Amino acid sequence: MSAIFQIHNLAKLNWSTDANALNKYLFSQISAEIAEPTRIALIGASGQGKSTLLRIMALLDTPDEGDLLVNGKSFQHIPARQWRMTVTYVAQQAVMLPGSIEDNLRMVSKLHGQPYDVSLATELLEQLGLDYLDLGKVAEDCSGGEKQRISLIRSLLLRPEILLLDEITASLDINSTQKVEALLLNWHKQQGTTFIWVTHDLEQARRISNRTWMMDKGGLQEYSSDAFFNEPVANLAKRFVGSTEGSLH
Amino acid sequence: MTLTALSFTLLFVMGTMMVSIWQKLGLEKDIAIGTVRSAVQLLVVGYVLQFIFNADHILYIILIILFMIAVASWNAAKRGKGLPGLFWRIALAISASELLMMGILLGLHIIQATPQYIIPISGMTIGSAMIVSGLFINHIKQEVQSNKGEIETLLSLGATAQQAMQKVRASSVKFSMIPTIDGMKTVGLVQLPGMMTGMIIAGADPIIAVRYQILIVFSFTASAAITSMLLSVLIYRLFFTAGLQLKHPQ
Repeated sequence: MSAIFQIHNLAKLNWSTDANALNKYLFSQISAEIAEPTRIALIGASGQGKSTLLRIMALLDTPDEGDLLVNGKSFQHIPARQWRMTVTYVAQQAVMLPGSIEDNLRMVSKLHGQPYDVSLATELLEQLGLDYLDLGKVAEDCSGGEKQRISLIRSLLLRPEILLLDEITASLDINSTQKVEALLLNWHKQQGTTFIWVTHDLEQARRISNRTWMMDKGGLQEYSSDAFFNEPVANLAKRFVGSTEGSLH
Repeated sequence: MTLTALSFTLLFVMGTMMVSIWQKLGLEKDIAIGTVRSAVQLLVVGYVLQFIFNADHILYIILIILFMIAVASWNAAKRGKGLPGLFWRIALAISASELLMMGILLGLHIIQATPQYIIPISGMTIGSAMIVSGLFINHIKQEVQSNKGEIETLLSLGATAQQAMQKVRASSVKFSMIPTIDGMKTVGLVQLPGMMTGMIIAGADPIIAVRYQILIVFSFTASAAITSMLLSVLIYRLFFTAGLQLKHPQ
């Protein structure tokens, strides 16, 4: 049976037009495989290309080299639309679509002509502490934290196999962050969804993941989260990621 | 009007150039070039039209209309640098609109099938379609840039390019038609349109002149709507790669 997701020698060139630049690649020779539903924390210092990697995995950007495969099929042989319904990206800056909160939640069913799962939407809103919201409210008028959670629910209603989460709790308070983490851990358990979660918070990375992908010096290393966050590997993590971006006890 | 009388109108231009020199506006060169160009272009067109009217051959009518469409498409396409194949798409939209308009006008015997009617009315509708195309392209480019987040959010949720661009397309069609619709609402109240004015000056009955002007206003509106809507169908895909990624704005 094919792996859920595979990355083969992926590379992305730097934006720099200087042909003699030292770092021609933002990253290169990146390979990884997800054989079974997994919770992955994607960590690394700023500017290593974590968001770019996620965007490439969602086919919002193109790789310059290498291949991506879902269930054994290359991205070159799957229509982008179908791919994105399987591998769904949730952006760091949540964008609300025109209309009400409910219009946003109904968007997936509208796009794909599927029935709107109202009970699931209600349940997810409740679990993320958004049950107080008037669904007729203009989505753009919501707070940053509300938008972020609505955007997550909107993507979950698509029920993708793989969720790409780009610092989705960066604008949330501790309470809301815990709710998002609990929801996603439970969602993974119930639905078998794999998620790849970019975070700068190493404590969060430890809480939510069983595998850790670390991007550094244009490459990607994979660790078991248990090993990565325990001494002495934790010191390695601190050194690579930078002590200012997270705390590890 | 005699040529001598016509040449006296140059006094207006000279007056404007003198004001420009006096006020150091630096416009005199542009005014001089503009004056020469417009005079030469119009005189050439006058002789060409005279030739075509005398020849009264369908081939010449088609050729001059094709020339008008090519110039209009080239001019409008200048607004969309970085969008490959734009010229042909605009040419197709304007041609379709021109064909439909002329089909209706000639088919229903609203105008006579002579170059004296076909060429000026075609020129006006093609010119209007050119302005609409330029506005449409300018606006859609800006809209794509300012709605990048929304378009990519929709793509992330599995939208097609058509679904992701629906709002941008509708807003661009609406925007491009604003001058035509505003012009239609205020025609006769704010300004007396060129064709009607020309006919009245040439001695036509004002009621007959008004009838033709109504024909032109309706034709403009229909041609603007057809051109704009066709462009919205023909152009939106140019903003995406073959792999359905939004291209980086130019």
